[in-house]
Amino acid sequence: MSRNVKTALVLVSIALTTFFGIIAKYWMLNQ
Amino acid sequence: MSAVVDNHGHAAHDEHGGGYHGGIMRWITTTNHKDIGTLYLWFSFIMFLMGGVMALVIRTELFSPGLQWVNPDFFNQMTTMHGLIMVFGAIMPAFVGFANWQIPLMIGAPDMAFARMNNWSFWILPFAGSLLILSFFVPGGAPGVGWTMYAPLTVQMGMGMDLTIFAVHLLGMSSIMGSINIITTILNMRAPGMTLMRMPLFVWTWLITAYLLVAAMPVLAGAVTMTLTDRHFGTTFFNAAGGGDPVLYQHIFWFFGHPEVYIIALPAFGVVSQVIPAFSRKPLFGYASMVYATSAIAILSFIVWAHHMYTVGMPVTAQLFFMYATTIIAVPTGVKVFNWVATMWKGSLTFETPMLFAIGFLFLFTLGGFTGLVLSLVAVDVQLHDTYYVVAHFHYVMVAGALFSAFAGVYFWLPKWTGRMYDETLGKIHFWLTMIFFNMIFFVQHFLGLAGMPRRIPDYPLMFETWNKISSIGAWGFGLSQVFFLYIVLKAIRSGEKAPEKPWEGADSLEWTHLPTPVPHHTWETPPVLK
Repeated sequence: MSRNVKTALVLVSIALTTFFGIIAKYWMLNQ
Repeated sequence: MSAVVDNHGHAAHDEHGGGYHGGIMRWITTTNHKDIGTLYLWFSFIMFLMGGVMALVIRTELFSPGLQWVNPDFFNQMTTMHGLIMVFGAIMPAFVGFANWQIPLMIGAPDMAFARMNNWSFWILPFAGSLLILSFFVPGGAPGVGWTMYAPLTVQMGMGMDLTIFAVHLLGMSSIMGSINIITTILNMRAPGMTLMRMPLFVWTWLITAYLLVAAMPVLAGAVTMTLTDRHFGTTFFNAAGGGDPVLYQHIFWFFGHPEVYIIALPAFGVVSQVIPAFSRKPLFGYASMVYATSAIAILSFIVWAHHMYTVGMPVTAQLFFMYATTIIAVPTGVKVFNWVATMWKGSLTFETPMLFAIGFLFLFTLGGFTGLVLSLVAVDVQLHDTYYVVAHFHYVMVAGALFSAFAGVYFWLPKWTGRMYDETLGKIHFWLTMIFFNMIFFVQHFLGLAGMPRRIPDYPLMFETWNKISSIGAWGFGLSQVFFLYIVLKAIRSGEKAPEKPWEGADSLEWTHLPTPVPHHTWETPPVLK
């Protein structure tokens, strides 16, 4: 795996975690 | 130190738009960063004109008190779409266009790290823009909720709201993919010797902006997704009747929204940081402090969001925290303004059009920053919240900040991109028209706000008439001035004088010192080695 792909995967994981994390947090708080 | 990693190979480079396709297919299939930069810039200009027409509808309605031209519902749709189109369709793509053109040239990289994803990032945008426009033609029309898309109003809107939410999703995806490309390119593909602290400041500001985008855009995407599920899937994130909280939406939105301000402003700072040294014929004063100040602004931008919502009701301690945190941002911003002025100090100054726009930016953005400080004070903001003072403030930041900087960038790099010079006299006329009409529109709005005129209304009491008339006349002048800008650019491209190899004596980044004018379609296939 190239260095570029590794960098991109780290950044994608930050973005996806933030997106799903914020929805999951308030979904669970609302239960 | 980082080395160039070229995974495409020479044969792949021939596919970057120059070899196999002509006509429209060249632009649809291109993976060349210069072509994609051009696409972004033209797209943003078209959206800028569309958003501008909406602004003119708003200002024409507000020329006189009473309802003259449009009904209040359509007026609300205009304010909403004007904001969304200008922020997401015009300003952001414009600076991504600059990033695509300039970052590989400035760091000695042959292209962006993910050339095909770069194509995808751009071509999502026209579909997102079309969804926004399409929302006018569905039952109920476009949403009239304001660009902030506050709940619970968004839950009550028609189908246009759904189209807008999908458009925001697409715009967010495009921004995130673009940011990943920019970060990866800058971190991994710099030429040998191009250390981080030798990068031009434009590259630095974009590196930091791209991190902001990766962190902030998913928050907006989350907020509008929750709005979507509240509308259609029975959740009650923002519905008080189901245990949700409409104010929660505001917290989430502004957690994205304030970094968004700097997502727009930081690349503008970057452009100005290239232009001012070039026309002062001096290196940028305080380079390292500029980098640290930019980073400080980016970090602080995540802890100030609630200054947009002092009036929703929050503990005094929270108000104090957000007030102090906001005022602290003035320190790194002041560092930057001081450094730009110090760069000019005792420089061998000339005032070509890019420099005029950069100085215009410096004056007007500083004024916008100052009114931002005024609004950061809780006791003052309670009086001025949702008045035209706020409208004036953020247009000084967005228009005089970002747009003036974008104009400076276009005039600065147009000779390098096209090999043609623009007409300097026409450029200066464009600057002065823009400067005068901008202040005609927005300076007087401070008075309207201080007198208590609320924003987002199609009608107003007679006492506000004079300033509104001046503002509306200024708006038409400003709009026509930008059509004039289009003429200047097209004239330069079609029949402009041939640009010299280095039209700007003081410009010292790689694209000026190591590459011919106009810049060839493929660059840095062999990276430069910097001593």
